Amino acid sequence: MQDITLVQGIMLSIMAMVIGFDFWIEALFIFRPIIVCTLTGLILGDLQLGLIAGGLTELAFAGLTPVGGTQPPNPVLAGVMTTVIAYTTNVEPVVAIGLALPFSFLMQYIILFYYSTFSVFMAKADKLAKNADMSGFAKLNLLTIFIVGLTYGVVVFLCTYIAQEPMKLLVENFPPALVHGLGIAGGILPAVGFGLLLKVMLKGNMIPFLIAGFLYATYNTFANLLPVALLGAALAIFVYTNDKQKVAVSTGGHVNEGI
Amino acid sequence: MKASNISLDKKDLRNLAIRSALLQSSFNFERMQAGGWTWAMLPFLNKIYGGNKEKLARAMQDNLEFINTNPTTVGFLMGMVLSLEENQEDRSTINNIKVALFGPLAGIGDALFWFTFLPIIAGISASFASQGSVIGPILFFSAYVCVFLSRLLWTNLGYSLGAKAISKIRENTQAIAKAASVMGVTVIGGLISWYVNISVATTIPITEGHEISLQADFLDKIMPKLLPVAYTFLMYYLLKKKNVKPTTLILVTFIGAIALSYLGIL
Repeated sequence: MQDITLVQGIMLSIMAMVIGFDFWIEALFIFRPIIVCTLTGLILGDLQLGLIAGGLTELAFAGLTPVGGTQPPNPVLAGVMTTVIAYTTNVEPVVAIGLALPFSFLMQYIILFYYSTFSVFMAKADKLAKNADMSGFAKLNLLTIFIVGLTYGVVVFLCTYIAQEPMKLLVENFPPALVHGLGIAGGILPAVGFGLLLKVMLKGNMIPFLIAGFLYATYNTFANLLPVALLGAALAIFVYTNDKQKVAVSTGGHVNEGI
Repeated sequence: MKASNISLDKKDLRNLAIRSALLQSSFNFERMQAGGWTWAMLPFLNKIYGGNKEKLARAMQDNLEFINTNPTTVGFLMGMVLSLEENQEDRSTINNIKVALFGPLAGIGDALFWFTFLPIIAGISASFASQGSVIGPILFFSAYVCVFLSRLLWTNLGYSLGAKAISKIRENTQAIAKAASVMGVTVIGGLISWYVNISVATTIPITEGHEISLQADFLDKIMPKLLPVAYTFLMYYLLKKKNVKPTTLILVTFIGAIALSYLGIL
């Protein structure tokens, strides 16, 4: 059982602000759990824990994407809290993912709240546009980014530093069966993310490639997933050249018909 | 006279590519990315209209209309719109092209970056990280620095093409998007096998001191990872055909896993 010191709490909070900016504008993708967990681990002085938590949490959140203005459970809070809970309570990272979920949902709802309320700024934006007020327009946009960043800082400080004692108490009094169950759930959770990815990507003629990737990974032992990606690349090149040829043949056939 | 004397130079386009990252700065449900979209292009609109406040105001108001597209590739559309503004095209033409293109661009960009690139990079990086290797996050970060730099490419491409070759681009991107999907789907197949873990703990006693494990002696004999792939497809089915919300499925998964492990099945 380790404590989060005040200095660590403040550092986590500053980290969350910077990451919060990036989350909002989606520029460098440092808001993904693999980066968030690693940085959190560094701040806590346990890089190994951060890396392992990062690998697990990243995959659990693989399919949960903010595409088209929808908002999935928050990856930043999931990353920070999975690492922090594993660090302070000594539970396995895979169990900590489950314990971190409520924090992830909390931030998801805060972001949804901002998506709605920031609509009120658009009337102001209209007025600024009408007057071609460039500096006012910049300030308005900076304000919204700043509100989000600051919120991240405050929420992470509260969740990591202020709430750590009750959190520990809660985990200590957890029935062992529940801890076991959370670990099991953490192992199944990526299925939801992959289901979401498949929902978008699995058009009828894509199923053979899914089967190929699955079987290749199931019946071989790899150190990492690079071979599967290379198999995917090979298949992609095959499909691409095949399609190009088909286009060439079909247009060629069309010309012949004309003759 | 249609031609404008002031044109954007290389440095402007580079700045536009970087500023394209501001797209979502005032994201909201009413107009989504409109505020950031306008803000990102503002210095260049100002340059094009050379301090003519009235024209700048009209361009700003038009650009503040609803837009929602892919943040990574948006530079393409910004470059295109600015080249049209520069040529003093009809305001409604500019608007129509913008409205016609942001949807398809979102589709292509999201398919490439969120649904193909991310799972592949995340899968490989996570496989390093979960073994405690820093190569994981370093690889992930480097990959996304490259993605950020690709904004220069999209922006220049959009600007130099203007509205000329839209249909041709669409044709080609379709073939590329399909090939990318093939790669993405293959990797997702591998990810399911690697990262979804369901193992049945139930054992059936045959004779005294001898029992068979449902997982090792039965399910694994059929095919290892049978349950993970079956559960993933159940998720897919519920999401696609029954429109169940992801959050619901996460909660159900948790409750189900805890209940089944309490009963000693998992």
